[in-house]
Amino acid sequence: MGHLRRAYLGTMSEVAWRLPGWPQRLLTEFSLAERGSMVDMLAAAQATPRREMRRKYFLHALDEGRHAGIFAERVKALSGGRVARSDAVIEDAGLLQDHGIVGGKTLFERLGELEFLAFVFVAEADAVEQFGVYLDRKLPDPETTAALRDILKDESFHVSYSKLECERYRREGKPVDAALRAVRWRRMKEGWMRFTRDFGEWASGFWLLLLYFGAVGPFRLIARLESGGWRSASGASAVARNGLDEALAAARLES
Amino acid sequence: MPVYVLGISALYHDAAAVILCDGVIIGAAQEERFSRLKHDASLPIRAAAWCLKKAGITAADLTYLVFYEKPLRKFERILATSVATFPKSWGAFPRQMRTWLGDKLWLRGTLCAAFGVRPDRVLFCEHHLSHAASAFYASPHTEAAVLAVDGVGEWATTTLWRGSGTSLTPISEVRFPHSLGMLYSTITAHLGFAVNEGEYKVMGMAAYGQPRFRAELDRLLKLDPSGGYALDLDYFSFHWHPTRSGTPALEALLGPGRFPGAPFTPEGGAAGGAARAESQRWADLAASAQAQIEDAMLHLVRHAKAAVGTDALCLAGGVALNSVANRRIAQEGPFAHLWVQPAAGDAGGAMGAAMWVWHAVLGHPRQPGLARADLGRSIPVDRAREMLTDLGAKFEAVDDPPASAAADLADGKVIGWVEGGDEWGPRALGHRSILADPRSAETKEHVNSRVKYRELFRPFAPSVTAADADSWFDIPAAAQEPACWMLTTAAVRPEKQATIPAVVHVDGSARVQVVRPTASPVFHQLVSEFGRLTGVPIVLNTSFNLKGEPMVSCTVDAMASFVRSGLDVMYVDGLRVERPK
Ligand SMILES: [Fe+2]
Ligand SMILES: [Fe+2]
Ligand SMILES: [Fe+2]
Repeated sequence: MGHLRRAYLGTMSEVAWRLPGWPQRLLTEFSLAERGSMVDMLAAAQATPRREMRRKYFLHALDEGRHAGIFAERVKALSGGRVARSDAVIEDAGLLQDHGIVGGKTLFERLGELEFLAFVFVAEADAVEQFGVYLDRKLPDPETTAALRDILKDESFHVSYSKLECERYRREGKPVDAALRAVRWRRMKEGWMRFTRDFGEWASGFWLLLLYFGAVGPFRLIARLESGGWRSASGASAVARNGLDEALAAARLES
Repeated sequence: MPVYVLGISALYHDAAAVILCDGVIIGAAQEERFSRLKHDASLPIRAAAWCLKKAGITAADLTYLVFYEKPLRKFERILATSVATFPKSWGAFPRQMRTWLGDKLWLRGTLCAAFGVRPDRVLFCEHHLSHAASAFYASPHTEAAVLAVDGVGEWATTTLWRGSGTSLTPISEVRFPHSLGMLYSTITAHLGFAVNEGEYKVMGMAAYGQPRFRAELDRLLKLDPSGGYALDLDYFSFHWHPTRSGTPALEALLGPGRFPGAPFTPEGGAAGGAARAESQRWADLAASAQAQIEDAMLHLVRHAKAAVGTDALCLAGGVALNSVANRRIAQEGPFAHLWVQPAAGDAGGAMGAAMWVWHAVLGHPRQPGLARADLGRSIPVDRAREMLTDLGAKFEAVDDPPASAAADLADGKVIGWVEGGDEWGPRALGHRSILADPRSAETKEHVNSRVKYRELFRPFAPSVTAADADSWFDIPAAAQEPACWMLTTAAVRPEKQATIPAVVHVDGSARVQVVRPTASPVFHQLVSEFGRLTGVPIVLNTSFNLKGEPMVSCTVDAMASFVRSGLDVMYVDGLRVERPK
C-alpha cells in the first residue's frame, strides 16, 4: 500500500512540478487545504471537552494557518507577483471553499475526540510522506524547497503529538486501532466518492449537454431575454391585500 | 405559546438565520461567523441552532420557518435565460442544472431535513420582497418608498414598493439580466477583485481616480426617461457564461482588466512610470464605475419619489451597502429620511422574510425599528475565562474595560475589541472591532499592512460619539440613520482633517459610524473616554478579522486572529489579554 502510494506520488510529482502553471496550481491547493485544517483545528480547540487539549489544537491551527500563508506566498512568487485569474480567490480574499464542515457539523463534532486524533495522525502522516516524496524530487525553485522543508518539520511534529495522544487513549483502554482503521477506511471511501462524484459530474454533464442541444435548443425560437426598464411587478407578493389566509397559502408556494 | 418565526437565507451568497418571538428579534446571525468560511452560503444550520438556543426553544416549537426566496421561480428564470441565450449558454447549462436537479429544486424537503421542521411549517418569501421587508419593517418608518437593488433574486434585480403600516405593495421592477448589481460586479471582476467580496475595494480605489471613463461606461448602462434602466447586453456574459461576467467587447471598450493581485500604486511610491499609469487607469475606471452607480441610484430614487411620494426611503439589496452612493442619495436625493438595512446583502433577507411573515402574512402590527446591531452570539464571561486560561493567554479582569481600552488607545496601542453580541451585517460596529488612535497618519498603514495584512489603499472608518458627530463631520441630514450603521460617508470638516489623518480618505471623506449610547452603550463609553483623554472623541474602527476570514465571533477565533496579527492588546468583554511574547 505504502509503496504503491509513494510510487504514485513520485510519478505524479515528476509530471506535476514540471508542467507550466502546475506548481502554482498544486501550491494553491496545498494552501487551501492548510487553511481548511486551520479551521478544523480551531473548531476542535473550541469544542474539545478535554481542556488540556485545547492549547495543543490551537497551536496546531496556528501552524496550519502559517503553512497556508507560506504556500500562498510561493504561488505569488512563482507567478511573478501575479496569480492566474482562476486562483484569484487565494490572492484576493483567500476565500475557503473546502473544509471539514458537513451538514453543519465540524470534523471534530462528527468524529469525536478519539477518532479526530486518529484522523489527525493519519492525515499528517500522509502529508509527511507526500512532502517527503516531493522533496526527493526536483521542486521548481530553492525557495519552494526550503518552504516545504520548513513545513515538513511542523507536520512531523503534528504526527508525533497526535501519535502520543493516541497512545494515551490506548493506555486508557480505548479502541485506538479501531479508530485508526475507521479513519483509514473513511479516507479511502471519501477518495472513492470524490472520484465517483467527479465521474458522475462528467457523465451527467455529457447527458445534460445532449439535453441542451437536443431539447433546449429548439425553444430558442420562442424565447427571448427580458427587456430593460421598469415594468409592473410580477410578484404574488401582493397577496396580503386579499386577506391573510390567501397570504399564507401563497407563502407556502415555492413559486 | 408565543409565535416563533425563523427566517433563513442561504444557497446563493451569505447565509443567515434570524429568529423572531412574537415579532421581536431574539437573535440574528450569519453562518460565516460559526463556520469561519467567509460568505458561507451553505444552509445556516449552526446559525439556526444558535437562534433556537437563544430563544430557548427547539425546532418543534417553530410556528414557521421562512426561506428568503421562491426556489421554483428562480429555477424558471435560470432555465428561461439558458434557452434565450442558446447556444452561448452551453457551458453554464450543465453546471446550473446539476446544482438545481441535485438539491436546490427539492428545497422544502432539504429545509425540513436540515432544520427539523414539518413541511407545512415551511414558507417561502420572494427574494426582493425579503430585501424590501428587511428595509421597511426594520425601519422606524410607517410610510415609505422601499427600493431593493441587488444582483438578482428570482427575476427581479431592482424593485420598488410602497410600504404602509404592515403592508408592502409592489409597484414596479426591473428584471434580469438588466441589473445594477451585476454591472458593478462585472467592473469589480474587471478590476481583478473577487465578485461579492471586492466591491468595497472598488469603492476604496475610486477615491484615487477621476471618472474619465464615464462615456465608455455609459454605453453599458442606459438610464431611461421613465426612471428605469437597461444594460447593453453585448458587453456582458454573466447571464450565459459559467465564470466570466464581461465579453471581449467590454475588454475592447475599457481596456485590459487588472490581473488579480497586481500591485496598485496610484501615488507612485516605488513603482515606475508604467506601473503608475496603469494603477491610475484602474483608479479612474473605479471612479467612473462608482460615479455611474451613484447616478443610477439617484435616478432610481427620484423615480421612487415621483411614484410613491413619501418622506422616507428604505433601501436594501447588496447595492445599498455602497456607502458613497448612500451619501449622494441623502445629499442630492428628494427624500428627507433614508434608512438602510445594516445587512443589506442577502444575509438580511433572512430578517426580512421573517418580519414579512409576522407583519404581512400573520397581520401583526409594527414594532419599534431596529436599534442595535449586536444581535449575534455573545460570549459568556466564564466561558471566555476558561478558554483563555486553557489557551495559555495572559489576561486580567479589568474593572472598567472601556476606560482601560481608551487608555490603551491613547497610549498608541492597536486593540482587538470583543464586546457583547456579534454584529448583524458586514460592518464592525464596536462589538468585534479592531480599534486604533486615528490621530496619526502612520496608523492607517500600520493597521493595513501589519495588523490586517490587506491592501494599503483601503480606508478606515472613524467611530464618533453621537454628541460630537456634527462638529467633526458634515453628515447629510437625511443620512443620520445610515450613519449609525456605517452605511454612509460624510465630509470630514476641513479644519479637523489634519487631526485625524488615519481615517480621512484621499477625497476628504470618511465612512463614519455615529455611536449612540442606546445602540452600543459600552462602545459609546469607550469612544467618550478616548475623547476625554485626548480631546478627540473618535476612534479608528475596522472589523476584527484577518484578510479573507470572517469577523471573529468567539474567544478561540479572537485569540487566533490576535496572535496572528500585529495587535498589541485584546479585550474580550471584561478581560484584557496581553500579547503573547
Ligand atoms: Fe500543515
Ligand atoms: Fe499539519
Ligand atoms: Fe439579493
